Amino acid sequence: MKNALQLAMALCLMAASSLAAAANYTLWINGRTGGGAIGNYNSFTYWGPGTTAAGVNKKSVNWDGRSSIASQSGKIRDALDCFCTGGNWCYIATHSAGDLILGYTLANYGGSARVKKNATANASGVCGDTDGTSQTGWNIKWVRAASGAGGGSELSDVGSWAVSEALVKDLKTTTARAMYNHNTTRNVWFYMYAGAKGTAYSGILPGQDDEAVAYHSTGGVAGAAGGSYCNPSDWLCNDLTLGTAANEGGSAKWSYHSVSFRDDAEAYNHYANGNWGGIVGVVRSAMVNSAL
Amino acid sequence: MLLAVLVAAVGWLALRASGEAAPAAAAPAPPSAQGPQVFGQVDSQPAQPSAAERAGRRQQMIEHVQLTDHTYCSYLEGSKYPAGSRPMAQNPDQAYPNRPVTEMTPMRTGDRTSDPNILLQTSQSRVFMAANESVAFSLRAVTPDGSLVPLVVTRAVAAGIMTTGARPTTQVALAFADDGGGADPVAGDGAYAAVLTPAQTGLAGFHGTIRTEVRYTAGGKNGSLIFDVVYSPKLPAVWAGPPREVVEDGSLAFVLRADVRTPGRYVVTGRIDDARGRPFALATFNEVLGPGPNDIRLLVFGKLMHDGAPALPLTLRDVDGYLLKENTDPDRELMPRLEGPVLKSRTQSLNGISDDEAGGEERARYLAEFAKDRKLARDSLAAFDPAQPLPPSECGTPSR
Repeated sequence: MKNALQLAMALCLMAASSLAAAANYTLWINGRTGGGAIGNYNSFTYWGPGTTAAGVNKKSVNWDGRSSIASQSGKIRDALDCFCTGGNWCYIATHSAGDLILGYTLANYGGSARVKKNATANASGVCGDTDGTSQTGWNIKWVRAASGAGGGSELSDVGSWAVSEALVKDLKTTTARAMYNHNTTRNVWFYMYAGAKGTAYSGILPGQDDEAVAYHSTGGVAGAAGGSYCNPSDWLCNDLTLGTAANEGGSAKWSYHSVSFRDDAEAYNHYANGNWGGIVGVVRSAMVNSAL
Repeated sequence: MLLAVLVAAVGWLALRASGEAAPAAAAPAPPSAQGPQVFGQVDSQPAQPSAAERAGRRQQMIEHVQLTDHTYCSYLEGSKYPAGSRPMAQNPDQAYPNRPVTEMTPMRTGDRTSDPNILLQTSQSRVFMAANESVAFSLRAVTPDGSLVPLVVTRAVAAGIMTTGARPTTQVALAFADDGGGADPVAGDGAYAAVLTPAQTGLAGFHGTIRTEVRYTAGGKNGSLIFDVVYSPKLPAVWAGPPREVVEDGSLAFVLRADVRTPGRYVVTGRIDDARGRPFALATFNEVLGPGPNDIRLLVFGKLMHDGAPALPLTLRDVDGYLLKENTDPDRELMPRLEGPVLKSRTQSLNGISDDEAGGEERARYLAEFAKDRKLARDSLAAFDPAQPLPPSECGTPSR
């Protein structure tokens, strides 16, 4: 009897481990300032309480939020290798410069050979190999970008942020836009969530903004430089349109970028405030409903 | 397979258990002092959702069906061309990489303040610069209705951005002028221009972001702005030999020979125009190259040529490339830029050009997963509300 129970338990564990290898994960990639423990995928300090629902099997992809995009990209690649290879697939949420670092990573490394990993990370955030085989790129279902700074921010253009942070120069609008081809997403959709509750920097950020990033960036507007985009109620400024349509005035969005949320009520600012607040909260709700 | 083994094992254990001596039965409970129960105990039932809750849940499920359907169908459509050969229409900001980057912004007068009545028109001819290249900067002040505002550049200094604690670089003074010379095309038009050639200055060996800070007065106020360029003084590879073309594996490939000095991952991009000069395709090479001679293939995918039906022959132009360095800043060393036409194809027809869609492990993997998600979403909705038809698919009704 005892041997039978032991056999049953062993078989259950084997079945459980093979089933656990095929899972969906929800990755959250932070923006400027960072805050979560790098390498600890359960450290949600940047976002809010770790107990808050935010998509299936949520993981916090922490990078330092002040070093350059290129120097921190490896942290993103480690996380993508961990949770988005083999039988595992990822939904991804980004905030602010998290959009820039993910876009850079996908454009430059999205077609590279990735060794399949087992989703069990060491203290540095690196996971072990599964069977040693590799695949082309990662398994990503889609991305939701809260206040995406893929197009940079004019706050970097004027020196509002400390030049001692290498990330700040990467966020200069012309540099961010030239850094990589933002249309190269490997056919993965970036759903953009653009907040408009910004006032303090309205003289610097063109059009509508959430106090850190303007609509041309949070709305995924293509081009070598920024521009002024607003809500339909702002008559003297071209509208940022919803979806993938060209904006009022004819400017295009980057391919595979779609505006899912435009803050017509000017209700959401840039800041999570340690409690999944601001525009991050809007994305969190979307992840809860759709990252299954 | 493993699940089948588990089920069989559990079944075997159950059969064994049925043959084993039954455990000693517990002593029967004493009869109740209240007499026999007539009615059985009614189990508590979960509260039924209200009509509104059910409608809300149904709407969520419909949206999920639509999301999974869009994800599948758009991937199916988009991945018929490989990542390295895409329609230029899908790359709206990549067609003319060598045009100046222009901006128009309110005159910045402080950290958070600007003057909306004075607009600064600025341009820079490069953002990323290869060795020995020059960059031209210009600025002009106008009112919102386009009237010129006289401007005086009071100081313009370029220096490399260093991390905190590192020794500052040389500072290079730039002379902005409106004299019709150098980078200034028209004298006296109110636009001031200057050229920076790092290789001819104390910044010749600097690798990284060079910031040019320009201070000026306009409309009686002081303002400032910055231009950033990322300079790469070392050439990791050079072009070697004439470009050529080849039709292979059903596609047209422009082949550029490079002599690689520093091995690593190279990202090279070229633009392809049709015979009428209209941008048709964007070709990108992204592979690891070893040292020495290497062929860089910029592909115009066969199916893309069939679908787009461009006027032939095609021309490759405006090629740029870089060695991508992992996990470091600056992250690239630029190859020499090939500006303008590089090679006009001799291919005048679609003979030998395939109409097949792209294949590959990545595409198969994604389509399998997205099809699974779509089916699961549709099945869930159908089970929830079998009386209602399912939402239509963007790419044809899948089998249930």
